[in-house]
Amino acid sequence: MPRRLLLVIVALSLVGGACSGPTSGELTGIVYDEPVAKPSFTLTDLDGEPYDFVAETDGKLTLLFFGYTSCPDICPVHLAQIAEVFDQQPRIAREAEVVFVTVDPERDTPDVMRAWLDRFDSRFVGLTGTVEELDAAQEAAGLALAIREDGGEDYLVGHASQVLAFAPDGLGYSVYPFGTLQSDWLNDLPILVGLTTS
Amino acid sequence: MITWWCVSQEEPWTWSWTPYPGVWIASLVPLFAYLAAHRRAGRPFESKRVWAFVAGVVAFWAASGWPIGPLGAGYLASAHMLQFLLYTLVAAPLLLIGTPRWMGERIFARMRLSKLSFKRGKSLVAAAAVYNVGLLLSHAPITVEALRGYQLGSFFMDMVWMLMGFLLWLPVLSPVTEMRTEAPLGKVAYLLATTMLVAIIPASYLTFSEVPIYSIYELAPRIGSITAGQDQQMAGLIMKIGTVPIIWGTAAVIWFRWASEEARADSRR
Repeated sequence: MPRRLLLVIVALSLVGGACSGPTSGELTGIVYDEPVAKPSFTLTDLDGEPYDFVAETDGKLTLLFFGYTSCPDICPVHLAQIAEVFDQQPRIAREAEVVFVTVDPERDTPDVMRAWLDRFDSRFVGLTGTVEELDAAQEAAGLALAIREDGGEDYLVGHASQVLAFAPDGLGYSVYPFGTLQSDWLNDLPILVGLTTS
Repeated sequence: MITWWCVSQEEPWTWSWTPYPGVWIASLVPLFAYLAAHRRAGRPFESKRVWAFVAGVVAFWAASGWPIGPLGAGYLASAHMLQFLLYTLVAAPLLLIGTPRWMGERIFARMRLSKLSFKRGKSLVAAAAVYNVGLLLSHAPITVEALRGYQLGSFFMDMVWMLMGFLLWLPVLSPVTEMRTEAPLGKVAYLLATTMLVAIIPASYLTFSEVPIYSIYELAPRIGSITAGQDQQMAGLIMKIGTVPIIWGTAAVIWFRWASEEARADSRR
């Protein structure tokens, strides 16, 4: 095979490699201008116990996401991405808390939520509450309130699609919109885990 | 949403059959043209060839239509790879086997390809090189993500794969026998080298990559419990070992035919 042709083939094969793969250095999520404090709210966990978000996640890398189990696209993909990254990085998974807050308390009963979250990772925490409590939690997190759309029994719920990440020092440095890749998570989670108060 | 060709969509996958008009047209037009050409030319149907041609059309239809087409266009990298194998290793060779010589001569004359020949080593190397450049380019994430989001782009990619398939098999199965490479061992070496050497690079990359490399499949609604990583590993394995039964099978047929012809020739001497 002519040498030039071989070079073209090698170069093309690298095209695939150059487009992906974990990187290192800076956060790839959407970084806040100034770090933000963890939102303060207390909801109910899936065992029916009160869950004080700030206290329960103190000192842990925390990923906070508002969604609902009947969500057709964004919620399951976000959680699947995080779960897959945790499978690859068990050390980070052990130090992290993923908190999923429903915005559809009517359909998302504790049993439904537990079964749904277990599809991804049984360590994921599910929270629910009254509509007022859930609205207050979204407001505290600085998110637009979820809106129930028309559609009969199979209604959709419009909701914020970003995952809020808080480092173990209790501050939020970045958010992760839908479209965040596993390579982004693999890059950012070790950085965030390293941001401790000590 | 009904589209004329399979394209990546953000909607969750459902197992309800969906028609793609473009796929039906692209499958039926060649079939009717094939039958009409026989009638117009007053040529008899050779049943083996007709069945091969029909099987080729069915393989094309299966690769392009529901469910493999839409799964490959936007949900599973493994289905994308299965599509590639169906086009290049099943549909294309069957369509060539099903094309009678007189029809092949006409097609090549109309396409001004009558002088195309793969008898010399150089032209075989060129065919192998073009096939492999096409393989690498069409599987590069940047290409897949740019083309699979649009019907026209998705159609273009599938057609390029069909053309690659024809190019791959012409030196071995061209309906115009003079176009083929003559040496049986040359055919075997050509097929093995063309389909198995360069393909190892992307296949290994898919299998062993730490993260999914195609964001289109990574961010697609998941199907069942298959993770994006598992899907990509499966795609790599399909690319790596999916070629084995067809290419090695073909190589074995060529080899044994050659061996038995040699044996017959020896016994005549």
